[in-house]
Amino acid sequence: MMRGRGRRRSTALLAVAVAMVTLAFGLAACGGDTVGGGNENEVTTAKGGPVSGQLTISNWPGYMDTGPNNTVAKFEKATGVSVDYIEDVNENETFFGKLQPQLEQGESGGRSIFVVTDWMAKQMYDLGYLQEIDHADLPTVFENMRPQLQSPAFDPGRKFSVPWVSGMGGLWVDTAKAPEIRSVNDLFDPKYKGKVTMLGELRETVPLVMLAEGIDPVEATNEDWLNAIDRIGKAAESGQIRRFTGNDYTEDLTAGNIVAAIGWSGDASIIENPNAEWRMPTQGCSLWSDNMVIPVGAPNVGAAFGWMDFIYQPEINAPLAEYITYIPPVEGVQDLVKPELAKDPLVFPTPQFTRKCTDQDSPPDIEPVNEAWQEVITG
Amino acid sequence: MSLRQRLVPYWLLGPGLLWLILFFVVPMYFMGELALRSGSLTTGYTFDWAWANFPDSLSGHTEQIGRSFFYAGTATILALLIGYPLAYAIAFRGGRYRSLLLFAVIAPFFTTYLIRTIAWKTILSDSSPVVSVLQTLSLVPPDGRVLATSGAVIAGLTYNFLPFMVLPLYANLERLDLSLVEAAKDLYSSSRQAFLKVTLPLTMPGIVAGVLLTFIPAFGDYINAQILGGTQQAMVGNVIQSLYLNQRDYPEAAALSFLMMALILVIVSLYIRFAGTGAFMGGDEGETT
Repeated sequence: MMRGRGRRRSTALLAVAVAMVTLAFGLAACGGDTVGGGNENEVTTAKGGPVSGQLTISNWPGYMDTGPNNTVAKFEKATGVSVDYIEDVNENETFFGKLQPQLEQGESGGRSIFVVTDWMAKQMYDLGYLQEIDHADLPTVFENMRPQLQSPAFDPGRKFSVPWVSGMGGLWVDTAKAPEIRSVNDLFDPKYKGKVTMLGELRETVPLVMLAEGIDPVEATNEDWLNAIDRIGKAAESGQIRRFTGNDYTEDLTAGNIVAAIGWSGDASIIENPNAEWRMPTQGCSLWSDNMVIPVGAPNVGAAFGWMDFIYQPEINAPLAEYITYIPPVEGVQDLVKPELAKDPLVFPTPQFTRKCTDQDSPPDIEPVNEAWQEVITG
Repeated sequence: MSLRQRLVPYWLLGPGLLWLILFFVVPMYFMGELALRSGSLTTGYTFDWAWANFPDSLSGHTEQIGRSFFYAGTATILALLIGYPLAYAIAFRGGRYRSLLLFAVIAPFFTTYLIRTIAWKTILSDSSPVVSVLQTLSLVPPDGRVLATSGAVIAGLTYNFLPFMVLPLYANLERLDLSLVEAAKDLYSSSRQAFLKVTLPLTMPGIVAGVLLTFIPAFGDYINAQILGGTQQAMVGNVIQSLYLNQRDYPEAAALSFLMMALILVIVSLYIRFAGTGAFMGGDEGETT
């Protein structure tokens, strides 16, 4: 008896709930608001100001020297700005995913500077999430920036990005176990089955595989991208490729789980394996920069400009370059660093060294390519 | 009963209901609304009753869903097989070390989940002593590995969710009325019979709770597959993460999350029905003693 009544009552409750949900959805449908689609406001040029107050910077881990007198501390001492330096950019995608809802509202989550890779900077700019930069506000930056970096394909004339460091994507090889790996094609050799990893980043791994096949990634069609992805997918399914990684390929190299990986040129300091060596793939590498950008709604742009100009002084950038071991964007740093580093082609590559390399590029039609790629990654 | 008296239970429910509405119903509403949008990141996602997101989100991902069932199911069974004797031993043989032993079960929680899982990566790395022992015992082929295999993911899930199995089992076993077991023995049942006919049925609520607390989070887990798995071990959690963060197909990610929630709900209700305990439905079987 009680049960019957309870059941009737819960049926009634359920009906009310369903009605409410339907009504709510109905209202949402009338509202017709959209999620995403970019910021509709006009692209603005960031307005400078006094270099003072509080500055929040989002950067990647490992991109800042440590100690009580590191670069952040020097900047604070020189300008009186108090810096909140956060290392919360682990992956372009994840970082974007986290901040996108705020950027959509024209807010930057309190941050004045993000550091993101070329294609991500472009994506953010295209969605209206970034402010443009007036070169007159950054005299030191544009005086000292290496000429090769001054007009990249993704941002001709550097309207919205300032390089933090550059790097190369290529091969990390355990020379004791697989001394003969020199081309990305060698990673597909059954001899190394289950002993190689590739990066999960679409724009890094796929162009390197295309280069190895003799296809220029800059000219590549969607078809070319999909073919390369197909080849990688088959290798993943057969167990040839052990994992798709982020920066954690360095752990697999350290632990000796793998003999070779697709990885980045500046990671030597975090790979504790004396036999590990970064090699320029026979058919060329990928070249990229991580760039400082100023998001919409960034507070205290004056201090952000102050920071950029500060970093671009060779004598400030040199100790930082020694720590980061990626390619510094500042002209003249090479003469100020330790001699053995100055000779290192991975930190100061000559044009001859990178002659076969290609700028990191996106496929012509990103959506189907990315979908195919994610299917491979989440096999 | 006056109207006022009849309303009392609802008032008492108030705080709990408010909590549920704020932290469950409202987020669910937003997720549901997102799941019915269509579009892309560049054009924006517009609400237009896009029911097609639901079947779309399943297509191409059935393999990962099946895998999630298999991994979470195996891990749950393993956790039960390990956890029951463990809880039993702590409850009845622990003596004065009981609290200490219980503390030892919970101790790993003082380190974060992520760190514990990464630690297993070191323990199970290809040239580690653990793997060479397994190779010597022929449990792993001589050129084989443990990391980046299904076995590693299942082991990681079992390890990470074991305390969720042990704690409810322990709570249940500890309250077990031992005189019932004695009575069974007085009536000439063997230890085995006493266990199967008295102890086990009486600890069913603990088993049900443990199984649910293990299976549900294990099913949706993506950390273990990401850190301990290889290219062919992705679970449904990894798919949702990829849809949300990499493909930025928010509606499809929301739709898939919804479907997985519904699926779990169905399975759990079936399970509770067949496990034959009313403990979770507020029923009477559990209280007949």
